[in-house]
Amino acid sequence: MTVFKAFLKILNRNKGIVIMYTVILLVFGVTNMSTNNSNNLFTASKPSVLIVNEDNGNISKNLVKYFNENSEIKKIANNEEARNDALFYQDVSYIIYIPKNYSSDFLSGKNITLDIKKTDTYNGAYAEMLLNRYLNVANIYQKSVSDENELINKINETLKKEVKVEVTSKLNTGELDKASFYYNFMSYSMLACLIYVICLILQVFNQDKISKRNIISSTNYKKSNRILLLSNFLYSFVLWLFYFIVSMFIVPEVIFSMHGVLYLINSFIFMITCITLSFLLGNLIRNKNAISGVVNVVALGSSFLCGVFVPVNLLPSFVLSVAHIFPTFYYVEGNTLISSLEDFSFINLKPLFMNFIIMIIFCIVFIILTNIVSKKRQKIG
Amino acid sequence: MFLHNFIYALKILCKNKVLIFWTFAFPIILGTLFNLAFSNISNSEKLDVIDIAVAGENINSNFKESIDILSNKDNSDKLFNTKYVTLNEAKKLLDDEKIVGYIYNEKIVVKKSGIEQTIFKYVVDEINSKINMSSSIFQAEISKEIENGNYNINYELINKKVNDQLNTKVSLNDTSNKNLDYVMIEFYTLIAMACLYGSLLSMTCLNNIMPNMSNEGKRLSISKTKKVSLILSNLCASYLVQLVGLLILFTYTIFALHVNYGSNLIYIILLSLAGSLAGLSLGVVVSIKFKVGENAKIGILIGIVMFWCFLSGMMGITMKYIVDKNIPILNKINPANMITDGFYSLYYYDTLDRYLLNVISLIVFSLLLLVISILNLRRQKYDSI
Repeated sequence: MTVFKAFLKILNRNKGIVIMYTVILLVFGVTNMSTNNSNNLFTASKPSVLIVNEDNGNISKNLVKYFNENSEIKKIANNEEARNDALFYQDVSYIIYIPKNYSSDFLSGKNITLDIKKTDTYNGAYAEMLLNRYLNVANIYQKSVSDENELINKINETLKKEVKVEVTSKLNTGELDKASFYYNFMSYSMLACLIYVICLILQVFNQDKISKRNIISSTNYKKSNRILLLSNFLYSFVLWLFYFIVSMFIVPEVIFSMHGVLYLINSFIFMITCITLSFLLGNLIRNKNAISGVVNVVALGSSFLCGVFVPVNLLPSFVLSVAHIFPTFYYVEGNTLISSLEDFSFINLKPLFMNFIIMIIFCIVFIILTNIVSKKRQKIG
Repeated sequence: MFLHNFIYALKILCKNKVLIFWTFAFPIILGTLFNLAFSNISNSEKLDVIDIAVAGENINSNFKESIDILSNKDNSDKLFNTKYVTLNEAKKLLDDEKIVGYIYNEKIVVKKSGIEQTIFKYVVDEINSKINMSSSIFQAEISKEIENGNYNINYELINKKVNDQLNTKVSLNDTSNKNLDYVMIEFYTLIAMACLYGSLLSMTCLNNIMPNMSNEGKRLSISKTKKVSLILSNLCASYLVQLVGLLILFTYTIFALHVNYGSNLIYIILLSLAGSLAGLSLGVVVSIKFKVGENAKIGILIGIVMFWCFLSGMMGITMKYIVDKNIPILNKINPANMITDGFYSLYYYDTLDRYLLNVISLIVFSLLLLVISILNLRRQKYDSI
């Protein structure tokens, strides 16, 4: 009990760090989520477009209407700097400038060049396709139809025809993506909190004077070590449980299903890996001041490289091959696998189990290394 | 005496390993991580070739022709990688996510909604409407010929006419700036962080000479050295160390990570000097105004700096834009954003007014903090320590 009390005391003094990383998880885990709630119906992506319309005619109004249906029209402050900023930060992916008298010039058959600004992205390219299509159709009909209203009707009629689209996946991909994002991000908070606290505890108990005092005390050192281990485990378990409970509120539909159970198992195994890694680091670090440096480098490093902050499919391949040396990589891959599971047959689950096994192997390696390191330390003492 | 103190302050700073880690090594490590993680983002956002399949046998020849043009390797606008397969093969390809979707019996089948799927659908719509339009224009042209009493119709000529009409390129004039890589903002916030972390250096220096913070401070304050010379020498030393750190960071980010800071070196140096000055004055004011222990001061400084960096987009570039757009005043008084925005305007804008505004804001910010510090530092007396 004495050991446990000492543990709680140290934890209480450093609760700020644990709270900070938890708040980071909550802020990013909850706010950074896409609200794209897709189900079995096909929903076309809508690029965000800004139209600067200085013309009053019906032709340009119809163009705006077309973009209203097929894209998301943004309203930006009416100055060029605000527009440029919006383009840079991809608040809008495409800007169309419609000059004065566009409609009347168009009707009289003039060839008008429109000014545009665009980002070099899928959305920018798609917005340009939409604009091209509209202008093409309009140009073609303009040659044969002279009446403005009839022209607009013809254009709209042509653009209205759409091909049927069927979506095969029955998964609620929006919710599953949310869950994966949250659980991926959780690895960062968990890793940071566990390494920080466990390293600190080990540091305190391993101080020369304190460890000598403990060894000569009446409590068996094996027992006190065991309690220390259990306390660390208990702390980690409570933290993991808390993060899990939070996820129940964020993505309830996913958590109360087979997917949720798998997320649970995956994160639990990852937690164990974190504990063993923290023990190894705690035994390696001698200087108390170095802990926060190590926490930042290990937690940030593995999170950046393994696809926690940036989705795995956006990472360059050589980064991913380096990432294989971190357990976080297998955890994140596990989450990705879970989110794409449609049925839970053994063949589909096999790659997931492989990831579990790899994480467990990491645990064992960390434990062996910890033993080697602490053995060496003992000899020096 | 100034030089003597200056050299000692330098030695003290350089021997403080933890401090050197946070001000020198940490930004470099973070920059490396940014580079590894973000280097592919801009590329993967660009429109790429989309893998699709056409299933079944009965394919409209016009449709096939159009798809083939878009799948042609030599076409600079190549959009698709197209496979012609049976329905079962197409299903399998879609299941393994080898293709984005397939078209079968004039219906598109995809696994989920997304931008690639939308583009696929859009192109099919476009091809269909072109086929429809071409036949209606063709009809119209023929009836026009007949109306004119011309029964000897040259179909090839009309075909050519129709194709010309359909394929006239719309003329668009792209006026956007070519420097649109928003990942750069991450590196600018990194420089901002490094500049402001300089506050840790100036704070440590002042702690060493303040009588209420350390024994050395007590000894120094009863010596006959002038306070002004003591403080100035220490601050100069911390400024120098900070600039060396920045120089290393700049060298590393420019040559190893290929970060684009704009082309004019003088402006970059001016902004860095002003930014470092802001960091220095922040350290001074925290060191003097807050009567707490050294660790608490470090905590306060890191907290403030990280919060500022958060607002200027370090943890998510959109954050800077959201704050700039909705609560501009918050970023106008935020030195991390002044530095970030300064580099951003050098990179993105051709004019200098926004950049200069940021530099002036930084200098005003620094002077303000320094004046507050001087007012607090004058004629300090201690009844007991």
